[in-house]
Amino acid sequence: MARFLQYLFDGVGNGSVYALLALGLVIIYRGTGHLNFAHGEMALLCTYVILQIHQWGLPVGLALPLGMVFGFGLGAVTEVALVRPIGKKSPFAVFIVTIALFTGLNWLCGAIWGSVALPTAAPGKAVSYPKLWEVGDRFVRIGGATWRYKYITLLAVVLVLAVLLWLLFSYTRLGLAMRAVASNAGSAELVGIKTSRVLMISWGLAVAIGALGGFMIAGLVNQVNLTLMLTPFLYASAAATLGGFDSPGGAVFAGLFLGVVESMVSQYQPTWVGNEMKQAVALLIILVVLLVRPSGLFGTSKVERV
Amino acid sequence: MSDPLLTVTGLRAGYGPVQVLDDIHLEVNEGEVVVILGANGAGKTTTMRAVSGTIPRRGSIVFRGQDITSVGPEVIVRAGIALVPQGRGTFPELSVEDNLRAGAYTRRDNIAADITRWFDVFPRLAERRQQKAGQMSGGEQQMLAIARALMSRPKLLLCDEPSLGLAPLITKELFRHLEDLNREEGLSILLVEQNANLAIHMADRVYLLETGRVVGSGTGATLQNDESVRKAYLGF
Repeated sequence: MARFLQYLFDGVGNGSVYALLALGLVIIYRGTGHLNFAHGEMALLCTYVILQIHQWGLPVGLALPLGMVFGFGLGAVTEVALVRPIGKKSPFAVFIVTIALFTGLNWLCGAIWGSVALPTAAPGKAVSYPKLWEVGDRFVRIGGATWRYKYITLLAVVLVLAVLLWLLFSYTRLGLAMRAVASNAGSAELVGIKTSRVLMISWGLAVAIGALGGFMIAGLVNQVNLTLMLTPFLYASAAATLGGFDSPGGAVFAGLFLGVVESMVSQYQPTWVGNEMKQAVALLIILVVLLVRPSGLFGTSKVERV
Repeated sequence: MSDPLLTVTGLRAGYGPVQVLDDIHLEVNEGEVVVILGANGAGKTTTMRAVSGTIPRRGSIVFRGQDITSVGPEVIVRAGIALVPQGRGTFPELSVEDNLRAGAYTRRDNIAADITRWFDVFPRLAERRQQKAGQMSGGEQQMLAIARALMSRPKLLLCDEPSLGLAPLITKELFRHLEDLNREEGLSILLVEQNANLAIHMADRVYLLETGRVVGSGTGATLQNDESVRKAYLGF
């Protein structure tokens, strides 16, 4: 039981990060129907920007929101300047453009900040990516297992964010507009919604959340480097697919679920599966789920009576 | 006589290189029901799209003294024109109530009274207020599309083939609602309809469309008795 709880706590920690990134993917997909392949690298750029702002002397409490504002702008500009004009010609071309952004943004980060992990260690001091709260390695003990504060914080952030998004979608004018555009863009125009503005905001919001995700991952591993977002992005896409690409709640659940599966299979079966094969197990589960439910666990398949 | 509510002159529109509307002239006066009749491909739906602002167009469209030829649909709906598009003009993934809320998107005032009112007019919608629109029958969705359009409190309602795919009884009920709205609320209606027999009865005036041009017009009563019109559009 203690082992089980331990693996569960560890898994939920990583899963929270996958859930954060998956939320961004889902918001973009719901709005514009595109899979943003560059989502992880956009978050990476924001993660560097937050560190840079902090190193210029601003406190983290300011650097993080500024980085998220930067992310909002990055997403909004991408939608207006690239996705919208190219999407009119071919939706497939947008996919290619996001792949180009994926490599381009990674190159850009390398060109500005170099390929060495940041921040570099000062003599006699451990490296540490800036954090809002320094919780160190403290933990609570539950049923013989240790639940680290940093994982608890992560989970709390994800759950609060999910609730905030749910409130936004369910009870605000903007949320209603976002759902209406996702459901039927033509009719949304007819009721007076500026669909272009809604899509711009969707992309901005998604990348701002991505910036938060990148910040939290960097805090978890205490550094930012060029490959930081690769694995989390893979898992996040898998979580979005598993949860159903149009369901924010599904993305959160599937992100946490994949984190737990990853942790359980690699630690219960260290010789069979271990660290090398754990990704394959997660993808295998997704394959099976999608065979039974092609629109994901919580996704809606488009059925319309006539 | 006062100026018409809607004046369309020399309207041209189409899709990319294909021009569908050649030279459309039409008017809708305050409180009128105007019906557009025409064969498939005559340009009826394109006319509706051009007036509601969803496709590029040239010529002149004036609504209540305001030139709306080159503004977007979100401006036109604020000016007081609401379109019920062909097919299902609803948001299938949204609940019935959210559909009505979205319909009132342009309004900042209290909309609860309007929602209650359209629930009274269309009791079937009230029963299903929490249900997703896409799960309702075609007739119910069409009622919802009309109620959704009315939530913006339009002066002019554009209806593009509301009877498409509906059973005759449902169609009759739908037209009764439209007639009531016109008579009791003074709502002006511009209607495109395949079911010419039904539409021509409630029409104050009728325009006949052929390959992107208006080829005839008159009051409902005169056209009903016109031999050639009866043959071409009414089928008897």
